[in-house]
Amino acid sequence: MSPIEPYNKTVREYFSHTSHAGDLSRDYAQVRDSAVAESVQGAKIALTVGIEGAIVIEMRFRVWGCPHLIAAAEWLCERQESKPAAALADFPLAEIMRQLSVPVEKTGRILLLEDALKLLVAQD
Amino acid sequence: MKSDPVYLDYAATTPLDRRVAEAMQACLAEGGTFANPSSIHIAGRASAELVTRARARLADLLGADPNHLIWTSGATEANNLAILGAARFRAHQGRHLVTMLTEHKAVTAPFAALEKEGFEVTWLRPDAGGLLSAEILQAAIRQDTQLVSVMHVNNETGVIQDIGQLGEICRERNVLFHTDAAQSVGKLPLVLSDLPVDLLSLTAHKFYGPQGIGALYIAARPGCHVEPLTFGGGQERGLRPGTLPVHLIEGAGVAAAIAAAQMQEDLAHVTALCAQLMRGLAGIPDLRRNGAAQDTYPGILNVSAAGVEGESLLLGLEPVCVASGSACNSSSGESSAVLRAHGLDDSLAQSAVRFSFGRMTRPADIDFALQQYQCAVQHLRSIAPIVAVSP
Repeated sequence: MSPIEPYNKTVREYFSHTSHAGDLSRDYAQVRDSAVAESVQGAKIALTVGIEGAIVIEMRFRVWGCPHLIAAAEWLCERQESKPAAALADFPLAEIMRQLSVPVEKTGRILLLEDALKLLVAQD
Repeated sequence: MKSDPVYLDYAATTPLDRRVAEAMQACLAEGGTFANPSSIHIAGRASAELVTRARARLADLLGADPNHLIWTSGATEANNLAILGAARFRAHQGRHLVTMLTEHKAVTAPFAALEKEGFEVTWLRPDAGGLLSAEILQAAIRQDTQLVSVMHVNNETGVIQDIGQLGEICRERNVLFHTDAAQSVGKLPLVLSDLPVDLLSLTAHKFYGPQGIGALYIAARPGCHVEPLTFGGGQERGLRPGTLPVHLIEGAGVAAAIAAAQMQEDLAHVTALCAQLMRGLAGIPDLRRNGAAQDTYPGILNVSAAGVEGESLLLGLEPVCVASGSACNSSSGESSAVLRAHGLDDSLAQSAVRFSFGRMTRPADIDFALQQYQCAVQHLRSIAPIVAVSP
């Protein structure tokens, strides 16, 4: 995105409609959670997943960060639901960067999501 | 959903006053006053007359002698000319300079450049309210100090420094006193003939004039002079050569005349808007006003909301146009150096929003901004991690 329009339509859409922000709506057979923070700019992200029969039924996030990170968290949670829990290991960095037109200098912030996912996978 | 911008960024630049635009258009239209004011023909003399009238109007606003004003392209150039020019002019007497960490970059950058030239700069920190105490300035001035620069109204917080008191200290020690008055000229009363100010920078686009025109006031007193930074045709006493932009100068002059005529009205208007904004913000928990509650220009209100990220707050505020305490989208992502000098931590400085408003702002604009701000802060806090997360 250019400095004139720093956010594309997808970022604006996901930033404005964060239906996956917050906490799980109910109890699940398996609940995993993770939280990570970035030291330089202070971004923070927490993920929670509710799993039934090795399938991610519900995934929620909490973020303190820029619009791209909030949009990326919403996009990721929406995409992971109804998928096998094993798919949490696959972090689609390139797709997020492309779909959200993330400026290259924000790559580190987006990778925070990968760190949070890895912590979830480690709880398997 | 409202999509028209609600402009609350007057400290960055003000809208052009309609009367200013009309005066400028008269210059630019066919048959208008456009000639080079240095030309000796009749059209040139008409332009020169207009420039003289504008200079007199600006001088009247400042309570200064018109002959002590040099036209520049704006406050940045005026600051550079004042700081670089005065330091170099007096370098044979000493190479120590004093300024503040909370100055605009148009001041800090020339001082940083002078450090590279071998000058020594003392960078003063304000108190938690953003004010510089007389004692701290007294202690900073040395035998070899040549120039002190302290801005009048801070562009981020609106804090007003007591330039009368600070200038007096400088005068007693035979040190030049410069003030960047970009945020105060045309908004607060200034009578330079009564103030111990040697050099003052201003720009027209902060008081409803056009962008691209400003001025430097240089007091007529011994030892107060600047070396030029550019060389050419000798305009502006050789201190700022270059063909004068007649339509911009006309705009600056008309803006100055309007500001002088309706300053009290403008001030009362922004004071009422500020009170309205503060009443609305009072209901939001964990909010901090940045800058002293008193000694602040009421057209600027800077607040930080704990637990809120600045760039997301700005997007959440759209279509309200305000300034942020963070360098959004920059690779550094640094928070405001001014607010950090006030003692704010990175997180609070980064969440800061500067509301600035003026002559054309309506109470309905403030109401809308309040509504957007309350919603954005509440939403961003609601999605933030509840537990502390360590990096």
